[in-house]
Amino acid sequence: MSQHEEHGPRVLKHPLISRLFHWGLIVGFMPAAITGFLIWLKPFGEDLQNLIMQIHIVGAGILTLACIFYTFFALDRIVAFTRRIFTFDERDMAWMKVCGGYPQKMLLGKTIPVPPMGKMNSGQKQMGIMMLIGGILLIVTGWALYAFLPVAPKVAMYWFDMVHLVVGIVLGVSVFAHIFLGIYNWGEFLCMFGDGTQPLHEAEHHNPVWVENEIIRVKANASVPVTGQQHVR
Amino acid sequence: MAHYDYIEKAVKVSRREFIGIVGVAGAILWTGAYIATDLVQDRTKYIKLRAQGIYADDVKAKIRQSHNNQAVTDVYKKFAQNPLSSLAEELFHTKYVDRTKLV
Repeated sequence: MSQHEEHGPRVLKHPLISRLFHWGLIVGFMPAAITGFLIWLKPFGEDLQNLIMQIHIVGAGILTLACIFYTFFALDRIVAFTRRIFTFDERDMAWMKVCGGYPQKMLLGKTIPVPPMGKMNSGQKQMGIMMLIGGILLIVTGWALYAFLPVAPKVAMYWFDMVHLVVGIVLGVSVFAHIFLGIYNWGEFLCMFGDGTQPLHEAEHHNPVWVENEIIRVKANASVPVTGQQHVR
Repeated sequence: MAHYDYIEKAVKVSRREFIGIVGVAGAILWTGAYIATDLVQDRTKYIKLRAQGIYADDVKAKIRQSHNNQAVTDVYKKFAQNPLSSLAEELFHTKYVDRTKLV
């Protein structure tokens, strides 16, 4: 029995290009973040630290290319993401007051009523704002340090280094929280690392406002212009 | 192949948003390129000035080889034993960086 037959109608939540970008972030940001902490703390000898710096630079290169390609080939996704993360209303305030019901669920085993959310909940929006602004700051300061450290004014490089360090620590720690919550929400994990689809009832549970307002039914054997879409049933 | 029944509505990027995005990206790239070329020009200027200064000093100098320099020979005699000694290696050794291509 296929997934489709087993769970009923499905919705394409993450098109191919978004999933590829997510892989770019995993392959680029994760090594850069882990090696970044090691560069900061310097626990190893000179040779190993140099190797760690090389890995950091390769990771940064993959991350930068992933961001550039995603901007060029999926500008509509960037616009949709930016609109979502900067849109807050009273539902978000109510969601944040109960932290989305996650602490109550995880620590006390209680399910409490939570305001309905769109494609991203309020926590994901805050993470998105940090990733967008912090990511740009990390990339710009990182490459500036790589290219101009010996020739640029020392004060400017000192502050670039500080911004790179502080933003790196904040985003690095946030990403580990993101990984934990991503795995906790197993359906979302399967969606992002699978074919990008999710059973409609699952999306209705987590993203009722998105399901109500932002999705449309696909006609059988039709082609719909969605970035990264590979096949329509 | 993914099988699905619903997709997200297409996102329309308005002309105003597109111009805004391109404008911000262009401004960041332009500023970055300006700063980078400015730094490289400054660096090139300082390398040339440094080279000119060294040549000017060299023209005026009576002794132009370190092994004929009394101060250097005194250092070896009184302190660092002889050229290429372990102590001299530890204190004076430096890595050569070819900067001729930077100018």
